[in-house]
Amino acid sequence: MEIKTNEYRVWSDGSTVYYEGTMRLSSPEDYAPIQAIMNEMLAAKPARIDLDLTGLEFLNSSGINLFAKFTIEVRKQADVGLGVKGTTQIPWQSKSLPNLKKLFPALDLQIV
Amino acid sequence: MLSISAIRKLLKPKSFRGKFILTVGTVVLASLLFSGGFALRNVHRLASDATLEIQKGLTRATTEYLTNYVDTTSLRVDSLINGTHSEVTTLADAMQSLIDRPQAAVAVGGALASDTQFNPALQYDVHGHWAQNRSGAPSVLSVWGYLLGADKKPRPEVQKLIRDTAVFDFLSTSLMAGGSQKLQVYYVGPKDQPIMRTTPYADQAQMFDKLYPGHNDANFWQFFYPGVYEGWQRWIKDPQSAPVQSDKVTETAPYVDAITGKLIVSYFHPLWTKDRKDVAGMTAADVTLEQLAGVVESVKVADTGFAFLASESGNVMAVRPEGEKTLGLQTANAGAGQGVTGVDRTLIKSNQAAIRTLKIPSGNETDIAHINLVHNGAKVPYIVAMRRLGKRNLWDGKIIVGSQLVIGFMVPESEVYASLFAARRSVDNTLQQIVRGQAISVVLSLLALLGVILAISKPISAGLNELAVAARRLKDKDYSVRIEKPSDDEVGEVGLAFNSMATDIRYHTENLEHLVSERTKELETAADTILLLNARLNEENVRLGSEVDVARRMQMMVLPKRIELDAVKQLDIAAFMEPADEVGGDYYDVLQAGNYVKVGIGDVTGHGLESGVLMLMVQSVARALEERGATDPEMFLSVLNRVIYKNIERTESNKSLTLAFADFRDNGEVMLSGQHEEVLIVRNNGTIERIDTNDLGFPIGLEADISPFVAVHTLTLAPNDVMILHTDGVTEAENPLGQLYGMERLCESAQRHSEKDATAIKNGIISDLMQFIDNQKIHDDITIVVLKQR
Repeated sequence: MEIKTNEYRVWSDGSTVYYEGTMRLSSPEDYAPIQAIMNEMLAAKPARIDLDLTGLEFLNSSGINLFAKFTIEVRKQADVGLGVKGTTQIPWQSKSLPNLKKLFPALDLQIV
Repeated sequence: MLSISAIRKLLKPKSFRGKFILTVGTVVLASLLFSGGFALRNVHRLASDATLEIQKGLTRATTEYLTNYVDTTSLRVDSLINGTHSEVTTLADAMQSLIDRPQAAVAVGGALASDTQFNPALQYDVHGHWAQNRSGAPSVLSVWGYLLGADKKPRPEVQKLIRDTAVFDFLSTSLMAGGSQKLQVYYVGPKDQPIMRTTPYADQAQMFDKLYPGHNDANFWQFFYPGVYEGWQRWIKDPQSAPVQSDKVTETAPYVDAITGKLIVSYFHPLWTKDRKDVAGMTAADVTLEQLAGVVESVKVADTGFAFLASESGNVMAVRPEGEKTLGLQTANAGAGQGVTGVDRTLIKSNQAAIRTLKIPSGNETDIAHINLVHNGAKVPYIVAMRRLGKRNLWDGKIIVGSQLVIGFMVPESEVYASLFAARRSVDNTLQQIVRGQAISVVLSLLALLGVILAISKPISAGLNELAVAARRLKDKDYSVRIEKPSDDEVGEVGLAFNSMATDIRYHTENLEHLVSERTKELETAADTILLLNARLNEENVRLGSEVDVARRMQMMVLPKRIELDAVKQLDIAAFMEPADEVGGDYYDVLQAGNYVKVGIGDVTGHGLESGVLMLMVQSVARALEERGATDPEMFLSVLNRVIYKNIERTESNKSLTLAFADFRDNGEVMLSGQHEEVLIVRNNGTIERIDTNDLGFPIGLEADISPFVAVHTLTLAPNDVMILHTDGVTEAENPLGQLYGMERLCESAQRHSEKDATAIKNGIISDLMQFIDNQKIHDDITIVVLKQR
């Protein structure tokens, strides 16, 4: 599965979802296709899902909301682990990603 | 003669009539040729099928006929030979019965001795040194020199043999009278007494002296028939060694009879001693091949078909002279040695390759072969039918072997298939006639049709011609032209339409000015209608946009008024909010209760009415809580979150918001709570402090209970210290290069303007920001709240 526009690209490989570029979609509805990729992966109930955000330069508040909601969804599945990979190079990541860990303490958050 | 350009003109006619005729003519010609060709093909196939069937039938009939003919002929030949065999055998049986009954032989001999005809006196011949009876008797008896005593008379035992075998003359005379065409029958005594009796009488010994010098010095058997006697002796010891056991007759190969000069075959039948332990001479008959050849040579198949009789080795014994020529045989007298002379006229030495390699059938069935002979340099196909005759004992000049004669028929195929060839010729002739007839009918049909087409096309093309002329005149601006008397077909309809169009054109051309003014009036009316419609459309757009307007006004409406801000004693407050293209979700408020001021700032995810409503909801809840005197910042935030969470759950909204509060006491103490953007402090000496609020709270509306994450950061503001709250619309604003404004630029800007009052600081910061953004699109709401401690 892959979603590709001029601004961003989201694709899955195995149980990892990769995000790249700038996501500035204006509403949760606009984020629905991306959410679908993530939900589809969750429906397969893998042992662990990884979200690689190291290439995601910008994410607006609706996008951050999407990740928060998804984290809550994963939290409901006892047997699915969640890993989130970010980078200190991108300001919004150090600011917003720790919230995910707060939502789901078992989440493996790596901001390198 | 037509030139090439003339032909091209014919094939590419310009007029409608020409095209019509060419098209119809081509179609008709094609269909005629197709149907004609199809019929011809069928006739041709029929003819070739018939010829093939006839050929098959003829081949079958010929094969059957030839086989029958060959079988019958071989039966005749076999029965002829068998007749001779039985004659020789009968004679031998009679002689044998006397050998087996010596008393009877003596008695018969004695009885015949009284008759001089059967007991002629022997005369000694001084020159030849042999004894022989004089002519006049029915048979001749020769007694060779080596059988005579000193008195020139036969030795006593020879004398006894002569008397005992006198009965031969008696039997042979009657035998010669009937049966097959025998040249002579004769008796030869056993090897130690080979006297020779021959009927009819001939000067036998004299002839032998002349033809076979030395015969009187050698043993008769050894001299004339080497191997025959020994062969028979072997039969006694080993009956299996006889090639044919049922018939003891042993034949010679055909040879030229020394006496008569005729081609003859000798048939020998052995006699046995009484105890059957040795050979006791033989009876024999010489038969000319004339009768046999007569049977073979009388065979006539078709015009020139003939038969031939050959030995197993391919030596041809009987064939008509023209057959001999056809077979390409070359006669050569084989080694004229002692005894008898054979004839060599074998197929293997034919001058025809096909004959040389001709296979003699291996079984006893008739074989049919098709071969090609070469006559005068041309190939001539022949049918050959061959069959083996009965097996016989043959003395080949050295030993006795088993041998079979072969009879063969040769017929030229042209004669067999003469009727077929005739039939094929007549079919071909008929075919040619059909082709000719077909071609003539095609041409005639085409000519007739062209005539009809020419006749039909004339009135049609006449109408078209008239149209063409009229159109040309119209083109030359003669608008008065009309088609006279249009016909009642489609061309006529076109003519009527033309007339009507010509009338129109005339009308339009002559009334052009009038028409233009009329059209202009029509256009004006249309323009009015469009303008009306456009106005209506605008109204519609306004109505659609009003929903957005409502949200925008709602957002702006709930913001604190200037008066409220000015009412705050301890702080100089200025705020700026610029919603993005659509309604944004930014929120800020200043709530005052007594000496306690609570300033909130937040950012609802997304834009639009829903975000606006959520913002409104937050504002109402915060206001209500403030009014109820909820002073504990942590509890304030947790309760607010729970209310909002439940409301979001009820409305099934998918949104959340960041929200932070700053609680100002009148002593300068400030308590920060809630997670939002960094809070910026510019001290009165110009130093910058940035306070991270990430650990002070959690997004509102995501979780039911956020109290574990809520914390309070306390700080103190001195007079002229400035606190700046903002939303991410500021730091994440983009310039045309796609760079974000960022915290550093905001800090630098705030620092630069910090000495001014709150409004000026706000204006300065916004001015710097707008300069940065330039003409780039504003993606998100931009909100800034500047609070300066008095």
